[in-house]
Amino acid sequence: MWKRDDAAAGQPQQGGQPARPQTPNPGNDPQAARSDRQESTKVNIGKSVIIKGELSGSEDLTIEGQVDGKIELRQNVLTIGPNGRIKAEIYAKAVVVQGEVVGNITATEKVDIRDAGSVDGDLAAPRIAIADGAHFRGSIDMKREGGTAAAAKPAASTASPQAGAQTTTAKPADTKPADSKPGENKPGTPAGSPAASSGQNNPQGQR
Amino acid sequence: MAWFKRSGRQDEAAAPVAARAALPPEAVAPTRAFPKFLNALSQRDAPVIVDFGPVIGANVSFFGERLGCKIFVEDLFADVERHAREHKRDAMPEFFATRLRQDEQSVDGVLCWDLFDFLDRASAVALAGRVAKMVRPGGAVFGYFGAAAAELTHYSKFVIQSESELRVRPYPATPVKRQVLQNRDIIKMFDPLTVAESFLLKSNTRETLFRRL
Repeated sequence: MWKRDDAAAGQPQQGGQPARPQTPNPGNDPQAARSDRQESTKVNIGKSVIIKGELSGSEDLTIEGQVDGKIELRQNVLTIGPNGRIKAEIYAKAVVVQGEVVGNITATEKVDIRDAGSVDGDLAAPRIAIADGAHFRGSIDMKREGGTAAAAKPAASTASPQAGAQTTTAKPADTKPADSKPGENKPGTPAGSPAASSGQNNPQGQR
Repeated sequence: MAWFKRSGRQDEAAAPVAARAALPPEAVAPTRAFPKFLNALSQRDAPVIVDFGPVIGANVSFFGERLGCKIFVEDLFADVERHAREHKRDAMPEFFATRLRQDEQSVDGVLCWDLFDFLDRASAVALAGRVAKMVRPGGAVFGYFGAAAAELTHYSKFVIQSESELRVRPYPATPVKRQVLQNRDIIKMFDPLTVAESFLLKSNTRETLFRRL
């Protein structure tokens, strides 16, 4: 890491100015310090590793192996890699699932199940993203802290941009006004599927 | 070929090739009852919803942002497909009577989509009875009921575009003949729920909202 910086320090910069010597103290360069900190906190559990019991820590963690028991990373991000097989209760700041999880997941920020991910268990997080093709079976708890739902978001009518990013179809551009000929069939409507309302309202359920 | 890789779902992969080839295109369908379903739930604090369809990320995000709710994803279409593939449709009534884990009067909203079109009468009665029991007073149930006989060769994912529009995305199913339920039968099997709104669509489908008073 520092070798690269030292080499660069010896090279003259464009414009003929001599390069400023790089000091090895990361405190002088906030970006470098942040980068170093990120590198130092990325930890992997490899494919061949099997852990049975309780796993806790204060670093971001990527698991490609197998964990049975309980995982606690309350201030950090947990990533279950494509080869990861987890049978555990999970508590973390954010959880990204690309492999398989059997057990409940609780996150203080976000749970993200990618398209190859699989979760059998209950999710609890303020934000949850589930990609098309992902497997999920269980419940999803997105209760807000305080305040009623209507008060928090009174008038939104389209699917969220976040949802659009996760699925290819929820594009706001595809939506049409609610009052645009509600009784008219749209082209390409599947036979036997609800296509358009005829506007007949039968409060008693009679045709 | 790329479609198979992207979907990665066992149920879809196992469906007949002919059924996949005959899939109709996606379409956007306006909905009249769904806004009323949402309105019913928005009056409640942290409502509990049961979704009988396959999990759809956009819908989860929509409900999370609009209602701040708890959602139980119970993909009953996958159960129907499994029974059909294994030629065990006769076992469905018993299966659906005990399939759902929710307690009585513990749920504010149920999204049935068009599931009842794929059930025989006995299974439909068993499931509707279970649904009626688990809905709380003031709760709502949203569903579609076909009004014409047809051979059903695909299920549909209903992706919420907005509160007044759903994107209907077909995916293959083991073919089954729809058993048309009369309105009086529907009302009876969902008792004590009452029909709050019912719309007849041009596709000969009834869009219905039930409420528990």
